Formats: sequence, structure tokens, C-alpha cells
Amino acid sequence: MLMKGFTIWFTGLSGSGKTTLAREVEEILLERGLKVEVLDADIVRTNLSKGLGFSKEDRDINIRRIGFVCNLLTRNDVVAIAAAISPYKSVRDENRKLIKNYVEVFCKCSIDALTQRDVKGLYAKALKGEIKNFTGVDDPYEEPDNAEVVVDTGKETEEQSVAKIIKTLEILNYIPRVEDANEYSGDEEDEIKARLKDLGYI
Amino acid sequence: MTKLLVIGLDCATPQLVFDSWLDELPNLKSLVESGIHGKLRSTVPPITVPAWTAMMTSQDPGMLGFYGFRNRKSYGYDDLYFANANYVKAKTVWNHLSRNRMSSLVFGVPQTYPPKPLNGVLVACFLTPNKDVQYTYPDEIKAELDKAADGDYIIDVDDFRTDDKQKLLESIYVMSRRRFKAFRHFLTKGNYDFAMMVEMGIDRIHHGFWRYFDEAHRLYEPGNPFENSIKDYYKDIDREIGETLKVISPDTSVMVVSDHGAKTMMGAICINEWFQQEGYLTLKEKPSKVMSLKMNMIDWSKTKVWGEGGYYSRIFFNVKGREPEGVIPQEQYEDFRNEIIRKLEAMKDENGKLINNKVFKPEDVYKECNNVPPDLILYPGNLDWRSAGSVGTGTIHIYENDTGPDDANHAEDGIFIWKIPGKKWDNKGNNYSIYDIAPSILKYFGLDIPQEMVGKPII
Repeated sequence: MLMKGFTIWFTGLSGSGKTTLAREVEEILLERGLKVEVLDADIVRTNLSKGLGFSKEDRDINIRRIGFVCNLLTRNDVVAIAAAISPYKSVRDENRKLIKNYVEVFCKCSIDALTQRDVKGLYAKALKGEIKNFTGVDDPYEEPDNAEVVVDTGKETEEQSVAKIIKTLEILNYIPRVEDANEYSGDEEDEIKARLKDLGYI
Repeated sequence: MTKLLVIGLDCATPQLVFDSWLDELPNLKSLVESGIHGKLRSTVPPITVPAWTAMMTSQDPGMLGFYGFRNRKSYGYDDLYFANANYVKAKTVWNHLSRNRMSSLVFGVPQTYPPKPLNGVLVACFLTPNKDVQYTYPDEIKAELDKAADGDYIIDVDDFRTDDKQKLLESIYVMSRRRFKAFRHFLTKGNYDFAMMVEMGIDRIHHGFWRYFDEAHRLYEPGNPFENSIKDYYKDIDREIGETLKVISPDTSVMVVSDHGAKTMMGAICINEWFQQEGYLTLKEKPSKVMSLKMNMIDWSKTKVWGEGGYYSRIFFNVKGREPEGVIPQEQYEDFRNEIIRKLEAMKDENGKLINNKVFKPEDVYKECNNVPPDLILYPGNLDWRSAGSVGTGTIHIYENDTGPDDANHAEDGIFIWKIPGKKWDNKGNNYSIYDIAPSILKYFGLDIPQEMVGKPII
């Protein structure tokens, strides 16, 4: 079975669930027999983009590099999943133009919810001014206005967000639909019933 | 880690494979001698569904939430469903392998219909209603499957309740040979880390032909023409296994398993006749002939208990506030359940001898009880007898099965054999649990064993 490659680009503020959802989606796609690679921004920065800082220019370079690799993977029929804040719309749109099959997932979550969730304590530090150029606090985050999927991670469960993403991939025909109807049809149930009765199970 | 091939033989039973015929099964014998082997304790109940799924997930039927082929969807009287693959929410071995970028060939493993995507190829099981539906993953391999299986892959034998035993025997052979042949085709075509097939023929031949070989069976006739039919079939399966071993690389690990065993069936306990006799079940009208118990035949205002037929029995209580017309007060539920257990355990055969019923409370045998469990699980005569759900028999004990001829019942222990080339075992001769298979496979491939698995790795 030949599957076409595509890129799922997770964007959203720090702590909005990009990595978690990316890993969940990765596992489901692997289970469906696809070739998948995740490019997580934190991992990319220690390898592909080592030495880059957090200036606008460096951030743009980082996002372009991830986009470049995603495009290579996509055109070779691999599913590339990027999870990066990617705060600037213009660079995201560059990647959208570059990559033929592109699905943007906006992990929407308010600063209030993120500050409350703040597992690493980063928002508290940023709000106190201890961390500078923190996206969403004193650095801009330009929300997508044409994302294929918007997941409200402040309100939705992880399961709901993942289901929304997978459903969108099915609707866009990037992955085959998996029916979740539990039941046999009436005729099919009769056939199974007769067989099991024949075999003494019921 | 090198590849792993699992050959599943539904119902293959240790007393025949290990104790009686091993010298005549050279390929199984070779695996036994170069690996470990023992009895494999099945699920409660030892039934194809849920046993294979429990084996592949290491979760018990209560955790899985289904207790047999047919289950109650709610506490309504007639709200039943068949537990197909869509009801399997737990992750199977191949789900875990797929998630870790390993590929699988899954072939005929029970409870895989409808087929779900995986990293590999899947041919669904005998719960496929017919060949017009999608029963492979990917769908496109259906034609290739038929071609590989001499033009017509057989999901399961038809016309099982036939008196034409010669025809049935031939059907079982044709089904198995085609399945093994098709399996070898896909096995050699792909490059799978994990390959597993389940052959149902042994189960079918046990139920159809047990009386012809087992001298302990009450219908056994010495010198009958089918005396060697089961042994010959085991030899043929051994030959197929040998052919399969020829096409794998020598460093492939090989496991042979069965989901449960088999034994002579003494007869059937008419469980609903017994409940009527004991005053727990009342029908609106006395049946004029033997018939299946239908829920609309029951006078619920005078009924506390009813039971299902099958190789074991699921027993259900009519509880006030739970069932639509319940009569057992909830505060008396436990006392009542103990009363029924005591009475079931005191059940006797026609000669007044205890038949040794075994009764389980689901919560005592499962880690948790999801969905709608039966109130009690009964092994009539510790599975020496089966359960007949029919009413109108006028007797508790019958010797002709109410659903047609059937000679064997399921037994609790199946078989387990595992050869890992180059591995020296220091735990030979143990008995094993069906729940240990999935964690053993994951450990073999160097994967973490999820906490929800109840078994322990054998290696």
C-alpha cells in the first residue's frame, strides 16, 4: 500500500501541548503502518539548529530548517511531524508554500491557562521579567488564521484533540478512514450467530 | 533481536501433543527438545474469545470487558452483542510493535475482525461473517490471499453440524492446508519482525471427531473408520509446521501456543431446567418441545436467575433496580449469590454422584470487571460437562448436545513451546500462563512491558 507523505505542523505557545499531541499522533500513525518522523523543536535545537538563539532572525532560521527537513521527508512519502512554537505567520506560510501536503495544527491555549499549568515555571519567570523575549509574554505570537485543525488544549482532553487531528487527516485523505462502528450488520450478525451455534459456542 | 514466528493452534491440547503423540510429531518434537514447553493455563473461561485476545494483550476478560463471544451490552434482558475486534480497546502485541516501528504479519488470530490498520499485513479471523466484507488489511491483498490459497481462502469450515463426517474431515484439511500455504506466501514475501498465524482446524476436529478416538468417550466404538482422524490431522498440522519452518531463517525464534485444551464431553447440564426445578426460574408457559430459552418466555416476576448455554455457563441474576423487572433486592445480592454457588456445587449426576461443578465470582478471578460481567461463571463438572441453555428437555442431564453433535469440551490448559536459537533455558518444564505471552514477546523484542499487562515475561 503506497501512502503519500505529508507534514503535520504543530504551532502554539510553550506548554500548549504540541509535543505531547505530536507524540500521540505519531504513535497512532505508526500503528496505521505509516512511516513517521517527529521533529520536535527542543530536539532540533540541540542538533539541527545548535547555536541558534531566540532572536527573531534565529527563530526564523530554525523554523525554515525544520520546514526544509519536513519537505524532504514529505516528498519521500514519510509523514513529518513538526512541533515548534513557530510564532511568526510569515515563516509558517513559507513552509506551507514549500511543502506540498501541509496540515497546520494550532494548539490554542490562553496565557492564563498556560500560567496556571506552568509545569516548568517558565511563565512565572517570564511574567516577573526573569526570562526575556518569552513568546506570548514579551515576544509576539501570531495566531494562525488558516490552520487545518485548531485544538483548544486549555479545554479539550488530550484524547479529544488527538481524535480531532486524526479525523482531519482522514477527511483530507492523507490516511485511510478507520470505521469505529462496533456492530455487525443484521445479516452479518446472523451469519456469525449461526457459525458460533454450529461450533457449540452459543 | 531476530524475528519471532508464533504458530497458534486453537484448542491444541497438552495430553495429546506432549503426552501421547509427540514422537509422531517430529517438528513439534524438535521445537520441544530445543526450547521450553509446558501447559499454558487459559483464561476463565477457556474460550477462544476472550482467550486469544487475553494472550495478545495480557489483560484478563474483566479488564477487556468481554467474557465470551456474546456479551450483555446493558442490564436489559435481550441486549447482547458479539465481541468483535472493535470492542478490543487494549493494545495488542502488534499494536505495541507497530508503535515501535516493527512490522507484523497477523493471520487468522481470533478477534481481529474487522481488521484494523497496523504496520504490516493482517488477515482477519473466523469471526469474519463472509468473504464479501473487508477482512484483510490492507484491503487490496484479498485477491492475492485467494490466489495464494489455491484460489479460495477458507475462513472457517461450513456445515459443521453434519453427520457426513468424511466431508467435514476433508473440509477441515482443505481449510488448514490453504491457510498454511497462504501464510507461507505472505511470510516469505514480506520481511516481518513478528509473524503469527492461528489455525482453527484442531478445535474443529476435536469437536467433530473426539468420540471416535477417545476410549473414555461414552460413544467410542473400537475400530471405527475415524479412529485415527484426530491423530492423523495433528500429524498433518505438524507437517505444515515443518514446511513453514523451512521457509524462515534459522535464527528466527519460534513459539507454538494454543488458547485452551480439550477433553471428553460427558454430556450437558440443562442449566435452565435445573433453575426451574430449584424454583429460581419460571416460564410463562411450559414448552411443548425442546427449544432455546428466549427472554420473552420468562415470567420475570417469578424469576431470579437464568443461564446461558455453551462450553461453560454464564449465569445472570434478575436484580431489583438493575434489570428492568428485577426481583432480587440489592442488599440480598451477595447472600443470594452464595446460596446459588452452594447449590450449584451440590449438583449431582443421575447416579447421585457430585458432578464437581466449579463456580466463579467474576471479581475473584479478574483484576477488574468492565462492562457487564455475568453474576457467576459455571464450569459444569469442571468442564467435563457443557451447559445446555435449552428448555423443555424435561431433564437436567442430557447426552445428546442440544445444538447438535459435539464430542469435546474445552479444557483449561493449552500448550506452549518456545525455541529461541542459541538460548539455553534454565526454567524447563514449568507451566505457564496465557497472560505471560504478550509480555514475553515484548521483552523478546527489547520493548518496555506496559503496567497494565497482568502477566510476566517468561524470558
